[in-house]
Amino acid sequence: MRRDTRDAFFYIGPSMIVLMIIAAVPLAVALGTSVTNWDLHRPEAREFVGLDNYIRLFRDDRFTSSIAVTIAFTTVSVGVSMVGGFVLALMTQRNFPLKNVVRALLTIPMITTPVVSATMFRVFFMDPDRGLLNWFLGVLGISGPAWVASWPWAFVAICAVQTWFMTPFVFLISDASMASLPQSVFDAAKMDGATYRQRVVRLVLPMLRDPLIFAAIFRITIDYRMFDTIYVLTRGGPARYTEVLSVWVYNRALRSFDIGYANAGSVVMAVIVAAVCLLLVLYNYRKREIS
Amino acid sequence: MQQLRGPTGFTGVAGRRAMVTGAHTLLVALALFVTVFPLLWVFLGSFKLPADVMRLPPVLVFTPTIDNYLIVLRERFTFFFWNSVFVTCGSVIMTIMLGVPASYGLSRFRIPLKKTIMLLILGVRFAPYIIFALPLFLVMSELGVVGNRNALTFVYIIINLPVVIWLMRAFFDDIPVELDEAAEIDGASRFRAFLTILVPCAAPGIATVTILSFIFAWNEYLFALILSGRDAQTLTVGLTRFLGGMEDAIRWGQLSAWAIAIVAPVIIVSLLVNRQLRRGFSGAAS
Repeated sequence: MRRDTRDAFFYIGPSMIVLMIIAAVPLAVALGTSVTNWDLHRPEAREFVGLDNYIRLFRDDRFTSSIAVTIAFTTVSVGVSMVGGFVLALMTQRNFPLKNVVRALLTIPMITTPVVSATMFRVFFMDPDRGLLNWFLGVLGISGPAWVASWPWAFVAICAVQTWFMTPFVFLISDASMASLPQSVFDAAKMDGATYRQRVVRLVLPMLRDPLIFAAIFRITIDYRMFDTIYVLTRGGPARYTEVLSVWVYNRALRSFDIGYANAGSVVMAVIVAAVCLLLVLYNYRKREIS
Repeated sequence: MQQLRGPTGFTGVAGRRAMVTGAHTLLVALALFVTVFPLLWVFLGSFKLPADVMRLPPVLVFTPTIDNYLIVLRERFTFFFWNSVFVTCGSVIMTIMLGVPASYGLSRFRIPLKKTIMLLILGVRFAPYIIFALPLFLVMSELGVVGNRNALTFVYIIINLPVVIWLMRAFFDDIPVELDEAAEIDGASRFRAFLTILVPCAAPGIATVTILSFIFAWNEYLFALILSGRDAQTLTVGLTRFLGGMEDAIRWGQLSAWAIAIVAPVIIVSLLVNRQLRRGFSGAAS
């Protein structure tokens, strides 16, 4: 056993050391600076202020509202993409010409650089005067909103772009799991006169429960920390309506230079991560107990 | 399910089937349109003259030009491009060299606190990048390495190492231990067995995680935005230069060309190895 540990270090050690440098050290620095009033405007006046920053956080409307925005954004975009991806996967179970090409094309948004897709939607589609979206609405006789600059459309915009980006992921997971379902069950159900809807609701959904829950958890872990898309689309604006936690930390640190305070926000986010991970582990344990 | 070809009349069972097929085709076409059209539009835009790019109603027929690409090339595109290539390739190579042995170690050895280690790695994987990026900015400023390409490359390891360790560990777990034992009976050292037998067995998995890592590193924005300074800016950071400030207008044509230059390598790779990519992503979720 002891020899084993020493041998294991040869393989595992380098990774652990690297992760220590680029993950553990930063966390320690965040923790350390979160109890100071370090401000890049006047870096020399840096002193220990105890838990002041944390107390300030929970009295700060802007911080609590960014928690609310993060939760709302995650709920909407995870919800819509879960339904969308599942329905898309159902649709591709049927045979049609060029099926494999279509399936490959449907996964493109997922690997598209988020900064590129955000820029693309903001400039070419959601621009109030020159964007295709408002032009199209105009043709239908509707005057379109200032997408990324007005409430609630800015929120709709970030959710829509995130949904475009991540629906293919749910599609891919559902598609892969549907392909492995036993066809005979469906044939039997069909013989017994089950309608398509009954087959989906009573058979497919229950059998896909685990992969779908996994997909949802994974989606949540992507969305609650999303930065790129939102920063490029709105920078958190208008006012603070789309300022999710990551953008909040960024704005506090690199626009207001309030480093200590921003890092206190980071630490709170890290605590949330720990909670999410614990949730994952608990789910895994429960699953193992059942099977 | 058998393929349904609708007859001409919309009556009875056959008619219903034809309608279902029609509706189905329409929905698939709509999904495909929403998925592909935005990028296709930017692609077309990158070949348009300034007068055509944002004209409304949109123009589909136009005289194509490669001016946008030529202008972009003159505006230090190669500088950003090489930074992206350097940082992505460098970090992926290091990630694989670190992650594959680590996942083998975590799969084969009995070590104390293994569960905790795996859990901490999972924590890093699901953590928001900003909570690392900001302190790293402070530390790197102190050391004077903000904008240093090697430093950025090293930081980029954090993006993929946790994913590689988790995926490859599952992969090694599926390779029977008897294989290691057989090699050791033949007199090979453990490390030799790892290199000559285990790694080749795991090659498909390594290929998959390499592709995934490449995509994630290439697409990264936040670390690059905060840590690249002036000398290590990547393509994603360069793109936002075209968004224009208060005074200058957006240069749509060049913006499109730049955007296409970023996504083209990723999309081409992903379509070439779509099957592996699908497997990788569904593995990455579980």
